[in-house]
Amino acid sequence: MPGSEHLIDALEARVERRHQRRDFFKTAIAGVAMGTAGLALAGRAEAQSAPSDTDILNFALNLEYLEAQFYSYAYSGEGLPAAQLTGTQTQGAVTGARKANLTDRAVIQYAREIAADEVAHVASLRQALTSAAVAQPAIDLSATIFTAAAVAAGVDLSASGGVFDPYANDDNFLIAAYIFEDVGVTAYKGGSPLLSNPDIVDAAAGILAAEAFHAGIIRGALYRRGVDVPAVWTITEQISGARDLLDGTAVSAGPPQRVADDDQGVTPVQNQFGLAANIVPTDENGIVFSRTAEQVHNIAYLTRQAATSGGFFPNGTNNPNAALRRSGAN
Amino acid sequence: MSDQTEFLDLMERAEHQRRARRNFIRLCGGAAAMTGGLALLSGCNDDDDGEPAPTVSPTPTPTVSDADVLNFALQLEYLEGNYYSYAVSGQGIAANLQTGAGAQGAVVTGSGDGAARAVTFTDPVVQQYAREIAFDELGHIGFLRANLGSAAVAQPAINLSGSASVTIAGATAVGAFTAAARAAGVIGATDIFDPFLNDENFLIGSYLLTDVGVTAYRGAARLISNKTFLEASAGILATECYHDGVIRSELWRRGLTVPSIYTRITQISNTRDGLDGSTENDQDIGDATTANLVPTNDGGLVLGRNAAQVLNVVYQNKAAVSSGGFFPAGLNGTIKTSQANA
Repeated sequence: MPGSEHLIDALEARVERRHQRRDFFKTAIAGVAMGTAGLALAGRAEAQSAPSDTDILNFALNLEYLEAQFYSYAYSGEGLPAAQLTGTQTQGAVTGARKANLTDRAVIQYAREIAADEVAHVASLRQALTSAAVAQPAIDLSATIFTAAAVAAGVDLSASGGVFDPYANDDNFLIAAYIFEDVGVTAYKGGSPLLSNPDIVDAAAGILAAEAFHAGIIRGALYRRGVDVPAVWTITEQISGARDLLDGTAVSAGPPQRVADDDQGVTPVQNQFGLAANIVPTDENGIVFSRTAEQVHNIAYLTRQAATSGGFFPNGTNNPNAALRRSGAN
Repeated sequence: MSDQTEFLDLMERAEHQRRARRNFIRLCGGAAAMTGGLALLSGCNDDDDGEPAPTVSPTPTPTVSDADVLNFALQLEYLEGNYYSYAVSGQGIAANLQTGAGAQGAVVTGSGDGAARAVTFTDPVVQQYAREIAFDELGHIGFLRANLGSAAVAQPAINLSGSASVTIAGATAVGAFTAAARAAGVIGATDIFDPFLNDENFLIGSYLLTDVGVTAYRGAARLISNKTFLEASAGILATECYHDGVIRSELWRRGLTVPSIYTRITQISNTRDGLDGSTENDQDIGDATTANLVPTNDGGLVLGRNAAQVLNVVYQNKAAVSSGGFFPAGLNGTIKTSQANA
């Protein structure tokens, strides 16, 4: 049965990932305990372009524009108000988004609540940045882009005419949300050690936490659906695998430190207690992983190359710091 | 303008967020003592509610080291780690994870109904969630202990029981889960709450603990100075939020067929709010009409507690005390006293 073969493959991939992570953390913990690795990483970060808190919040604001528009349109058919889109650099429009055909009352609630949170994040970041806030860049939320992402991930679209429409039904909406959610969490976590003002650290922690709640809710919903429809689990593995491919296979320069293959679908895993869910994409220490701004852009631009636009951001993200607008060469 | 209307609708639709906003605006009025950075991002100049600022006496923030903060977090992990370990395996955390500085204590399991033990799960999905969370919590304990090295504090005595009567250091007490549930009015004054009885009770017990863990890490972020620790702490915070997101959404889903779950969660949330002072930093999960799965303020930021407020909740005491509730002998380390709340 092809379903169970997929499952076995996925389980084996997970075992391999655990091994890699274990090796990584042996090194990482030893380093931190000796006080050398942490210092070395911090030094390297400062030697680079040393983005300001404003740059990092603007980086986050681009992601929040993307998420807020996706959830707002999916829930209500309307996007952010015009007053929430202005700012420095080039303002762009949202294309291809629409109200999703949601029927499951739980999924409708998820969409409503997450939309409200993301809209609030945009407002919060804009308020913190005041006149330094960047405008919303052009955002492409069309089925074409989501289809490109799904095809790149190897998702079987034969039953839907080769198209992945994120607004078509509950399942597709959840899968589309899955594409975004973990990325936001890893981006905020990766950004956290680069922030300096404690008030901003505190606020960023609050937003990170909200994103992690969202991701937990979405992953939990996909997990439960996958019990009856294992293809759902397979798709999460495929998307995670694609993100892993996009964002590189090596430890990138400067914090955050990361492992080659850390993105994870929701397929169950075996742990010391028995068969367990995989709601939280963690390392051996139960800690969620990080991405650099470049790696986040690799995923948002849907490219492994160094680029300044693509995918969900056809004209690129906005940022006064060019280093926070580009993807990495992986 | 219709998109503005939609924006306002989105913001207004959730009663709980409205409540949080009211409280938040009050908080902005003068309480720098609370988790401070909230003020930065969330519209303190937005005075649409017109409620007076509270009289919060600004507590001077004592200087705490990263080790103090991590040791405080470690003890919350001991509590969570033991809870989830017992639930999935019938055993607490390994002996070699319990040692360290300060007074080492045992887990008080109680006996009979309410005793800490393996839950007989009927929903395999809930069991699989529980196993994952248990594994993650053990990871957190191991990570924090490895980083703290010889500075790591020992596991303090933990009351993990729902039993009507347990013996702690020769004295008789009520199982902490039952004490919490009685105080919240979830059960009658002589009833017991057994978090290890079934799926539903396990989830409610999880809500009791994990929600608090989230607010604790959330509140501690600004106190950590070492950037490596800060990033790790952000990662643990994220993990706790994934856990809580799953637990809260699972409880909400079950509330559709068992509406009393909504009522009981509201009671627990209100009680925690009563323990930790006048600010509202706790939210229920909403009801069948409107879910509230993410406990956020008006700015979409997850709510936090300072360490002393966390201790009010886990000690189950609104006064300034140094032990009680889940930690009958108090915490080890330097952060051990709850705050005095009227």
